[in-house]
Amino acid sequence: MVKNKNTPIRLLGVGVLSAAAAFAQETILPSTAIKINLPADSPVVLLTLDPRDSRFTARGAAIMVDLDALLTLRNTGSSRIHGITLRVVSQEVTMGGKASMCIPRLNIGPGESFPIHIVQHLVRPTASASGPLVEVSLDGVLFQDLSFYGPDQIHSRRDMIAWEMEAQRDRNYFKQVLALGGRARLQQAVLLEMARIQDRPQLDRPVMLRGPAATSAATVATERSERFAFVSFPDSPVEPVDGSAMVIGDQVSAPHVQVRNRSHVAVRHVEIGWLVKDQAGRQYLAASVPSSQPDLQLAAGKTAIFAQDTSMKISRKGQPLDIRGMTGFVSQVEFADGKVWVPSRQNLDETVLRSILPPSAEMVRLIELYRKGPDALIAELNKP
Amino acid sequence: MRVRQHPSEAALALHAGGDLGPIARWRTGRHLKQCETCQEEVAAFQGMRRMVSELSAVPELPWNRLAAEMQANIRLGLAAGECVREERPMVFARFTGLRAAIAVAGLTVVVAVGLFLQKPSGTKDEMVLRATADGIQVSEGDQTLGMKHDAGIKNVSYSANAQGSIGESYVDPVTGDVTMTRVSW
Repeated sequence: MVKNKNTPIRLLGVGVLSAAAAFAQETILPSTAIKINLPADSPVVLLTLDPRDSRFTARGAAIMVDLDALLTLRNTGSSRIHGITLRVVSQEVTMGGKASMCIPRLNIGPGESFPIHIVQHLVRPTASASGPLVEVSLDGVLFQDLSFYGPDQIHSRRDMIAWEMEAQRDRNYFKQVLALGGRARLQQAVLLEMARIQDRPQLDRPVMLRGPAATSAATVATERSERFAFVSFPDSPVEPVDGSAMVIGDQVSAPHVQVRNRSHVAVRHVEIGWLVKDQAGRQYLAASVPSSQPDLQLAAGKTAIFAQDTSMKISRKGQPLDIRGMTGFVSQVEFADGKVWVPSRQNLDETVLRSILPPSAEMVRLIELYRKGPDALIAELNKP
Repeated sequence: MRVRQHPSEAALALHAGGDLGPIARWRTGRHLKQCETCQEEVAAFQGMRRMVSELSAVPELPWNRLAAEMQANIRLGLAAGECVREERPMVFARFTGLRAAIAVAGLTVVVAVGLFLQKPSGTKDEMVLRATADGIQVSEGDQTLGMKHDAGIKNVSYSANAQGSIGESYVDPVTGDVTMTRVSW
C-alpha cells in the first residue's frame, strides 16, 4: 500500500519536479548509450554506429530518449541477404513493450555493406535509469534462398518470408506486364496501382487497448456480437468456417475465428484479414487476427478456433465508424515445414480485396523507383 | 461582564489541521485552553483528518462517492454543532446561514484537495497501443515505448494485429529502403 502522510513534502517534491521541468535540458546521446548485440556467428557485423541526432531529455520524473541512429552493417556471409529484422528494446522499460524494425527486400551480396536507420522514442522513469538506454539485437536475417539465421524471438522469419512472397508476386506481375506490353503498358499498370493506393478506403490510425472493451451505461445498449462473412480463395490451404467479434460503441473486441485445414499437410500459423463495413457499404481493413496458440499444429482436415482478447477503436475522419458488417479472409498460412502461403494476385483481383488492402512493401518500393523515372523501374525489373 | 466569543468552525477546522496563520493560531490556542466545547470540536476535526488519511492509503477507492459522503458528514457535523452552540452563553449569533455555507464550501475544498493529494500514486493505468502522426507507441502510466519515422513522410501504411501489435511501412528518406516497424505489448 502506498501511504502519503506528508502532504507538504509531497507538494515540495511537485515544486522541485516542476522546476526541473522548467530547466529541462536536452543532452546529446553518446554512442555508448546504444548497445548493439550481434551474435559472434552472425552473418552481419557492425561497421559504424552514428548516433546522428540522438538525444535524451530529463523532464520531471522521466527521461525521454529520442534515438535517431544510423547503423552500417556488412554482409559477412556467403549468401545474398534479402531481409533483416532488429529488435529495439530498453530493458528498463518494465511494461514489456516490444519494438522492432525490418528492412525487407534488401539485395545485399557477400561483402557488401548497407545502412539501417533507427528512429525510436522512449519515455521511462529516472528511478530506473542504469545501463545502456537502448539495446539493438538481431532477430533474424533472411537469405535469397529463403533460409534464415537468427533467434526469431518475434517470428521475424515467418513475416519476412511472407513479405518476400508478396514481393515476388508483385514483382512478377510488373515483369509480366513489361514482357507482354512493353514500357507503355508498364507505365499504365504503375499508374493504375498508384491510383488504387490513393483511392484506398482507410480508417484512422489504429488504436488498441489491452483486454476486452470497457462497457458503460452509454455503450451497453449498443453492445452486440457481429458475425464474420468470409471471402474464400479456391487455392487457400485453410478455409474460415465461422467467426464473430463484439461491437461495443466505437470499439470492436475479442474476435474469434474457426478455420479448417483443407490442405494435406499440417499448419502451424494462420492469419485472418479482418474487414469492417460501414453504413454506406464501404469496407476497410481493420486488422489481422492471428492464430492465438504459439504452438498450433493444425493437422490436415482438422479445425481449430482461435481468439484474441484485444479491443480496437474503429473510426474514420475522427468519427466512430458505424459498423454494419465484418468480412474475413485468409491472409497468411505457415505450414509445419516452414513454407508460407499468401493470397495470389489473382485471388485479390477476383474479389473486392484488391481495392481495400494496402500495397505490399515491394509494390511501394517499385512505385518509388518509378517516381525517379520509368527507366529506373525497368532496370530494377530486369535484374535477375 | 465580558462575553466569551468562540472561534468560527472554519477557524477550528483549520487549527485542527495546523493550517492557521501564526496570530490566529495563537488566539485560537489561547481560547482552547479555557473552552472545553471547542476542544472537543477540534478533537473531532482531528479525528476526521486521521480517518481521511487512513482511507487515502487504500487503493481503488471510489473517490467521488467518498468525497460526497465526507461532505454530507461535515454538513451533519455542522448542524449538530449548531445545536450545541445554542446552549452556549453567546450574545451574538455569529454563525449565520451564509457563514455556514462559506465554511462548508471551504471545508469541502480542503477535503477535496486533501483527498487528491493523498490519493495513492501508482494506480494501474491502461496500456494503450496507438499509431501517431510520426510513429507507433505503446504507453502505460509514465512509460512509453515507440518507433518513429520522419514526420515529413506522407505515404505510411499501418497494419494492426489483434494479438496486440501495430506495424507501419514507409520508405525511409535516409536510406531509401522500405522500412517496416512494429510495436507490440
